[in-house]
Amino acid sequence: MEDIALKDLWKAQDEKLDRTMKLNLYLLESLQKQKAESRLNSLARFKGWAVVLGVVWVLFLGLLIYGNRLQNIYFTVSIGMILIFNILAVAVYIKHIVLIRQLDYSKSITDTQKKLSELQASTFNTRFLLLQTPFYCTWFWSTEMIEGSGIKFWLIAVPIALLFTLLAIWLYRNLVPGKMHKKWVRSLIMSTPEHTSVMKAQDFLNEIAEFKKG
Amino acid sequence: MQNNKEEFLERISAHKLIIYKICNAYCKNRYDRDDLAQEISYQLWRSYDHFNGSVKFSTWMYRVALNVAITFYRKTKKAEAVIQLTEADTEVEDKHEDRAELEKNILILQQFINELNELDKALMILYLEEKGYSEIAEILGITETNVATKISRIKDKLKQKFSTINN
Repeated sequence: MEDIALKDLWKAQDEKLDRTMKLNLYLLESLQKQKAESRLNSLARFKGWAVVLGVVWVLFLGLLIYGNRLQNIYFTVSIGMILIFNILAVAVYIKHIVLIRQLDYSKSITDTQKKLSELQASTFNTRFLLLQTPFYCTWFWSTEMIEGSGIKFWLIAVPIALLFTLLAIWLYRNLVPGKMHKKWVRSLIMSTPEHTSVMKAQDFLNEIAEFKKG
Repeated sequence: MQNNKEEFLERISAHKLIIYKICNAYCKNRYDRDDLAQEISYQLWRSYDHFNGSVKFSTWMYRVALNVAITFYRKTKKAEAVIQLTEADTEVEDKHEDRAELEKNILILQQFINELNELDKALMILYLEEKGYSEIAEILGITETNVATKISRIKDKLKQKFSTINN
């Protein structure tokens, strides 16, 4: 099958093309309304909801700190650290939404698809949230508790907090895109709500890299 | 704004076959084709203000339409029925022999393109649309040498497919 024959075949299918699809070019105003319904905006919508929930959570934590008024230093520091991590996560998600909105579909296919897939796989960018885990083991500590429980505090509460600290640091260092080929990393990603899009995006990033290599 | 709108409509209307072809290549389902055509129209209109003429209008349009189609396809991809050649397709039936042969070959080509991954599909559409290697490279963001190598590989596979089915 020669080049010309292939191109002739492609042209010959023109008359069989489905042209009944709605190409509402003459209703441009209604296309503006489509913005909200656009299937391509689902990623921005998901991140938008995450920002809303994040802001509610941050406000709640802020209220807790305000209510405690430094009565318990362990509580204030722990909740304060959790608050800082969550403020950073909300900021990262807002940045993602801005980048999604600014995505330029008129750039080259590999560049645009790479940017989009990186945004879809951006769950990795919020993995620093793992580092807040140890503070969930310390917020209920108090001077009374430490003095009252004696050795039990040092044998149970402290080792648990240390264990979570080490686990959080280890996960933070190992849960990276470069280790997606490892079964446990994929299993862990599978447990997040964004798992399908993250894994697909990561696989597509590999495909794009292969495509560019030739 | 009104002039801009008129100009946009005129230019898009002159190239709308591109949109039809891309929608047909990326969506087998009629309803998905409708949605994709809408998405492409919306993104073209949204991007038109930024079109500054630094590349050809068709290059710009192919970039937007293919980017939207690939993104859309990846979001809606499901176990779509691959176009299968049935016995009826391969039979000459009562039709004129040449016509039947042509229709069979169109179906083989469609099936082949349907089986390609998103990026190879874009490459093949651009090649069949008779775009030059430099324009294809510009649209896809890869080198001309890479375009030539990939097209040659895909064509070899396609030739094999035609010879297997036709023999």
